[in-house]
Amino acid sequence: MKLAAGWLALLAAIPGAAQASSPSSGKEAFEGRCSACHAESGWATRVLKRRLPGDQAVLAKRTGLTAAFVKVVVRHGTGSMPQIRKAELDDATLDAIARYLEGPK
Amino acid sequence: MAASNKFDAALDAFARIVGPDNVTRAAEARYEYADAMAPRDPASYAPRGAVAPASVEEVQAIVRLAGEHGVPLWPISRGKNFGYGGSAPRIPDIVTLDLIRMNRILEVDVEHGYALLEPGVGFDDLFEYLTANKIPLWMSAPAHTWGSVVGNALERGVGYTPYGEHASKICGLEVVTGTGELLRTGMGALAGSKTWQGFPYGFGPAWDTAFMQSNFGIVTKMGLWLMPEPENTVSLSMALEKAEELPAAIDALRPLKLDGTVQANPSFGNVIRTLATRATRAEYYQGAGPMPADVLEKARIKAGVGHWNFSVRLFGDRKINAINADKVKAAFHGKVSAEFQQSEWNRGEPLRNSGSPMPSLGALGVVDWLGGKGGHLTFSPVSPFSGAEAWKQYTLIRGMFEDAGFDYYGGFTAGQRYLNHITMILFDRSQPDMLERANKLFPRLISTAAKNGWGEYRTHVLWYDEVAASYDYNHGAMRRWNEAVKDAVDPKGVIAPGKMGIWPKAYRKDRA
Repeated sequence: MKLAAGWLALLAAIPGAAQASSPSSGKEAFEGRCSACHAESGWATRVLKRRLPGDQAVLAKRTGLTAAFVKVVVRHGTGSMPQIRKAELDDATLDAIARYLEGPK
Repeated sequence: MAASNKFDAALDAFARIVGPDNVTRAAEARYEYADAMAPRDPASYAPRGAVAPASVEEVQAIVRLAGEHGVPLWPISRGKNFGYGGSAPRIPDIVTLDLIRMNRILEVDVEHGYALLEPGVGFDDLFEYLTANKIPLWMSAPAHTWGSVVGNALERGVGYTPYGEHASKICGLEVVTGTGELLRTGMGALAGSKTWQGFPYGFGPAWDTAFMQSNFGIVTKMGLWLMPEPENTVSLSMALEKAEELPAAIDALRPLKLDGTVQANPSFGNVIRTLATRATRAEYYQGAGPMPADVLEKARIKAGVGHWNFSVRLFGDRKINAINADKVKAAFHGKVSAEFQQSEWNRGEPLRNSGSPMPSLGALGVVDWLGGKGGHLTFSPVSPFSGAEAWKQYTLIRGMFEDAGFDYYGGFTAGQRYLNHITMILFDRSQPDMLERANKLFPRLISTAAKNGWGEYRTHVLWYDEVAASYDYNHGAMRRWNEAVKDAVDPKGVIAPGKMGIWPKAYRKDRA
């Protein structure tokens, strides 16, 4: 199969999907950047279920999270979670995620 | 100039190239670029700063400035080399060159089956790109997909499709040298070449492999062959209930790998490797030291898994796969007590369970085996493709793990003519005694393996020198050669001093 040159040109120089667009909200950012591990079925949720009661292991449902705590955990890592640096997750996106997780559930 | 001033001045200069937002100062770099799975204080080998360029031109400018300031650089792609040091450098007096912002998928040629990638492209990115654009090419990926496609291939990472020996699917590199020059390998050395990602060798000496597990240059683009989506895949999975059945299974598989019947890389994972993906050790055993054999056997039965668990996956035309599946089953029949469980995938069905890697970070969950702050060290000797030799390696290494108080976690992944024996020392980073035992065990494993003629295919950043020293033919002729090349191509030693035990002249005092 030979695809048209124009189609191939369309493929050129497109950023990796994870950085492709700026999320419009903290919820969207959380789902795009964190849910691979922190979705209800994610490995991080399974790990947290070993330590926390009920829905508290699911970050999107967890109560009592503060934005400051979220930011420290992301930048420094905790337990089995590796840290995530600024070059990978910029401060503005992390702020949005942290505020979303701090918000009412 | 005082050392800290030298690094501050270099970071200031880098900031003028990439902007201050893309420079990380020492206070943050100490934790942002530390080894997330560290077996000792991660700050003790964290860098003094980091710079994240977005283009080849910025990389060249940074390399030149680094040379002027006498500041070495530690290039990383995405920094997810967990178990081998993650994003951490060999020496702390260094600035990390973080290539994660260079994350463009520059080209995917469907007809010729390749991609041209920048180092910041993750496996998840490539998967999403291929599927979103309905491109009938499959990538190969390691156990977790957070890392860089380029970085993993350059470190000779392993996947589980017929293209699973990732380094062998590299075709053409673009490299920034230690003096800031730009070169392209293979056919890319011909300006305007139409076969850079087609013919791997070029004219004269071929250098692609010299830039893998190496500090001879900084790879800024990489060609990678991708596998055409098969019509059909067949999975033949087996659980061996007795540890002693491993040699027979390996010997049954060998001729099938040699003659190409099995093109993917089956991985024989031990019972702890399987259990650790499901639960913590405390669910089975609360005592100290390695799990006793009777407890482990009860845990294995309770979980309904084998002592060794593996899957032979066939990729290709349906009719050919059917013939080869019969051939595989016949080869194992009577050699081991278990039978294969067979399943099939056909093009057009959902990809899950097809054998195509799916985005997943689930493999990272095993570091919670001991609870607390999980960490791991990966010890990866290569074994001959022989049941007897693999058994010898397994029993020796397992014994050493257990003598040091650790559960043996490991598996043998089959290449075409070798086995990658990938083991992990799993520990709780909050327990100093456990870390001390892991740090003592690791160099013993290296020296014991070398005495038996087994070398590591890859190792943790803290033990580059020990592994490099074990490659000692003719009093270390290979290391002398590597360092002669290093001094010639990077005279100031700007790029990754100590990487793989290769030290430029100015830094040889730092060799362990």
